[in-house]
Amino acid sequence: MENTLGRREFVKIAGATGAALATGGWQEALAWQARNAPGPDAAEKDLVLLALDAVKSAGASYADVRITRGNQESVSTRERQITGVSKSETYGIGIRALVGGSWGFAATRDLRRDSVARTAREAAAIAAANNKINPVKTNLSSVRRVPDGRWITPHEIDPFTIPIEEKAQLLFKTNEEALRVKGVRFVTSSINSIKESRLLGTTEGSIIQQTYFRLGPNVTVTAVPADNSDFQTRGAALAPMGKGWEYVVSLQMPENVLRWAEEAVMKLSAAPVEPGVWDLVLHPSHLWLTIHESIAHPSELDRAMNYEANYAGTTFLAPPEKVLKRFKLGPDFMNIVGNRTEAGGCATTGWDDEAVPAQSWPIVDKGMFVNYQTTREMADWISDITKMKDSQGCSYGQDWSSIPFPRMPNVSLMPNPKDISEDEVIAATKKGIFIEGDGSYSIDQQRYNFQFGGQIFWEIKDGKRSRMLRDVAYQARTPEFWNAMSLIGGKSTYKLGSSFSDAKGQPVQLNAVSHGCPVTLFRNVNVINTA
Amino acid sequence: MQNNNPTRKGLSAEESRALCQKVLSFAKADHTRVNVDSGVHLFTRTAINRVTTAGATEDVNVRVTSVFGKRIASIDTNRLDDASLERAVRDSEALARISPENPEYMPELGEQRFSEVNAYYASTGDLTTESRARASSIAVKAADAAKVMASGFIDVSAGSSGIATSNRLFGYHSGTGVASTLTVRTLDGQSSGWAGDEGADWTTIESERIAADAVRKCQQWRGKSALEPGKYEVVLEPTAVGMLMLRMMNVFDARQAEEGRSFLSKRGGGTLLGEKLFDERITVVSDPTEKNAETSPFTNAGLPVQRETWIENGVLKTMSYSRFWADRKGVAPKPAGTNFIMSGGTASVDDMIKETPRGVLITRFWYIRGLNPRIVSFTGLTRDGTFLIENGKVTRPITNFRFNQSLSELLANVQVMGRPVRVCASESSTVGPPVVVPALKVKDFFLSSVSDAI
Repeated sequence: MENTLGRREFVKIAGATGAALATGGWQEALAWQARNAPGPDAAEKDLVLLALDAVKSAGASYADVRITRGNQESVSTRERQITGVSKSETYGIGIRALVGGSWGFAATRDLRRDSVARTAREAAAIAAANNKINPVKTNLSSVRRVPDGRWITPHEIDPFTIPIEEKAQLLFKTNEEALRVKGVRFVTSSINSIKESRLLGTTEGSIIQQTYFRLGPNVTVTAVPADNSDFQTRGAALAPMGKGWEYVVSLQMPENVLRWAEEAVMKLSAAPVEPGVWDLVLHPSHLWLTIHESIAHPSELDRAMNYEANYAGTTFLAPPEKVLKRFKLGPDFMNIVGNRTEAGGCATTGWDDEAVPAQSWPIVDKGMFVNYQTTREMADWISDITKMKDSQGCSYGQDWSSIPFPRMPNVSLMPNPKDISEDEVIAATKKGIFIEGDGSYSIDQQRYNFQFGGQIFWEIKDGKRSRMLRDVAYQARTPEFWNAMSLIGGKSTYKLGSSFSDAKGQPVQLNAVSHGCPVTLFRNVNVINTA
Repeated sequence: MQNNNPTRKGLSAEESRALCQKVLSFAKADHTRVNVDSGVHLFTRTAINRVTTAGATEDVNVRVTSVFGKRIASIDTNRLDDASLERAVRDSEALARISPENPEYMPELGEQRFSEVNAYYASTGDLTTESRARASSIAVKAADAAKVMASGFIDVSAGSSGIATSNRLFGYHSGTGVASTLTVRTLDGQSSGWAGDEGADWTTIESERIAADAVRKCQQWRGKSALEPGKYEVVLEPTAVGMLMLRMMNVFDARQAEEGRSFLSKRGGGTLLGEKLFDERITVVSDPTEKNAETSPFTNAGLPVQRETWIENGVLKTMSYSRFWADRKGVAPKPAGTNFIMSGGTASVDDMIKETPRGVLITRFWYIRGLNPRIVSFTGLTRDGTFLIENGKVTRPITNFRFNQSLSELLANVQVMGRPVRVCASESSTVGPPVVVPALKVKDFFLSSVSDAI
């Protein structure tokens, strides 16, 4: 990759993004980005300008144009063999046009000039047709013009420079180590590498080139007893990250897989959980998903305004005038931020798809729900209450073929200012279950009733981790669950969990997102046995 | 093939064949396979009684799979100029050369005979922005008149897929799909109703009925009250059944069963083939030629897809075999079903309600996720219209529930079956693999906890 960072510089920049809230280091990171991140390809920029001209001539009062080139490489294995090696590239242009108050979108893979101009006119024509049949009003919040925006995921090693053989060898070595454990019968492993170039142009004069790297490693070990009477799996819960290949190296998969393999075997003879009321100590590799489902989705403003009623649903955090600054979601020490600047976060970026700069802001402050996630169309809807006129930069389309719409940023639970360790959180628990890794998950369309499984469950007795349990899931109602939060671990226990494939919208689109959180204790949660 | 319509979306058979041959002409590998998928995706979304977004996307994806010995790799690209295609072939070959051997690789297929499937409906492929907006207006007007709020989605795909191998195989298939779904909510957010249709043919989508049903459901569900969780007799409308049965599409895999990783694995080894698993009225088939639920008659590797009977009168009749596993076991390969078609009866939903002393009527589900693959159990929630049935009548709207339920038990507990219809079985209401199922009355369905969601 043309912009590989030196180790020292990388640590500085990546560290700065993580400390953005406290130190303003994000500005420093952006200055570095402006100097070092690649700028737009001249031919692509010409096409973006051509599309902007065509869509304006066709009557659009506003439009944004994206050319994206998405590269993906996947290597997957089972036991001692390859199950798939593939690469993909998808390249094209998408144009979103506002005519009257209606949106239209058109996209094509055909990047010849006449095709681009035709597609731009089609976007305006679709918007105009809808505006004629059903005229509406739309206000966009203002944003500063960014004539030459540049951003690239901070990384040391471009994952596409690592040969496939090396990736496969790493996976084989990992599998081999797992198969040494008696009782392990199957292992699957894979590495998914993503590189995306995204050039954005708007009719307001912004031109922004951004390049993203994301990595998704995975290992799943399956143990089966000799008589085939059962099988148990241990997914390693390796978080996808917005980082370079150095992240995969840091995971030490061949060394760590022994523990995961032993845990898969232990699950076969683990004690079935006794259903009832338990305290839960949730590890970040598990809790990230509970945050994602029960806090990050409910605080999407489009859900509160019924825009997602036909699929993702609405939210218990509605209507805004009744819940903003009024709904106590958790105890006073609960602080949740929306953060597009989180180091390594999958939703970390320089700007969103409407040229709004990346930012971080409180969603839950001292337990109180104080803000939603917004786009330029939505900011105005609640500005009377939030006193904020600007978008928080949550517009995103998954690729050139997809219309940008509200998507969540990284949404994270802030750690305890005191450095409470994992052992201290466990020590505060008399009768509990320590849960690692994400398992089965399901939540209703207003985000009240949820049920989560996990990968590994340890019984906690009198402040100490004891035997392994199995078939555990907990079921709770969101506000009661968060208000039952009793102790948060410190910064040293804070980790990110992530997904590449958060689904929302119609047509459904995927968003990559991360959630940071510390080890956390919840009191008196209803646990069921799923066997 | 049958492509004389100039407005037809996606590459024609001739264009598809020419593109495949061009790619093959660049190839130097021992074997090469080309898959070409092309077409358009059109959509119109409504919310709060207005069209919120609409769009059109056209794409062509070419997948090149190269093989040297047992080394195999593939490249996807949507750049179709000669230089890009040749580069894709070179990249695919380079990737294959350095890939470790896949001992399970099976040689590329030669010429095959595929079922004749007419899956392209011009009524769907020719849908315009204006016609989708007009269909959306039917829902908006019905919602306005009833002083409720409509949120809907019309999802259209139209296109073709082609496959060719260096062993002279060529296949071409074109098809359309459309789903139209509608959620209607009261202005105070205290009630919600849903209705929807899915098909290959736009003329089977009943926009007026969808609007009327969703508004009616929303009005009837207003004023819901609590009901104790527990095991209930339930009447599942066809969409509710389809959303569960979508999870049964890929469970008939022989290898999973024989390796001890499936609900079809027998304790102590072997499988449950030939054993009675479900109620004897349950028959499950897949068939690419099923009217208005057509699918491609070949897999991505070019293996013919034919009508298969997976379950007959409750008995497991056959399992799917990958080419590798079939070769290992000395049987013919059999791909998994591409659609899911269940037997039915003659009862209407009203008939089922009439003969229910106490039970729950369920419109559809949401957020269905696996719990325990040994018993194919799932959790999820009811949504958009849940009602108590007492003494043969719907007596009151009730709160939503989370369920925890084994599907294998559900199919054993069937009491009454309705007429099978194609349903929109995906939670996102995008056109998915066709699912044709009846309404079912089932005993002992486990509604495990209350959900406050509306």
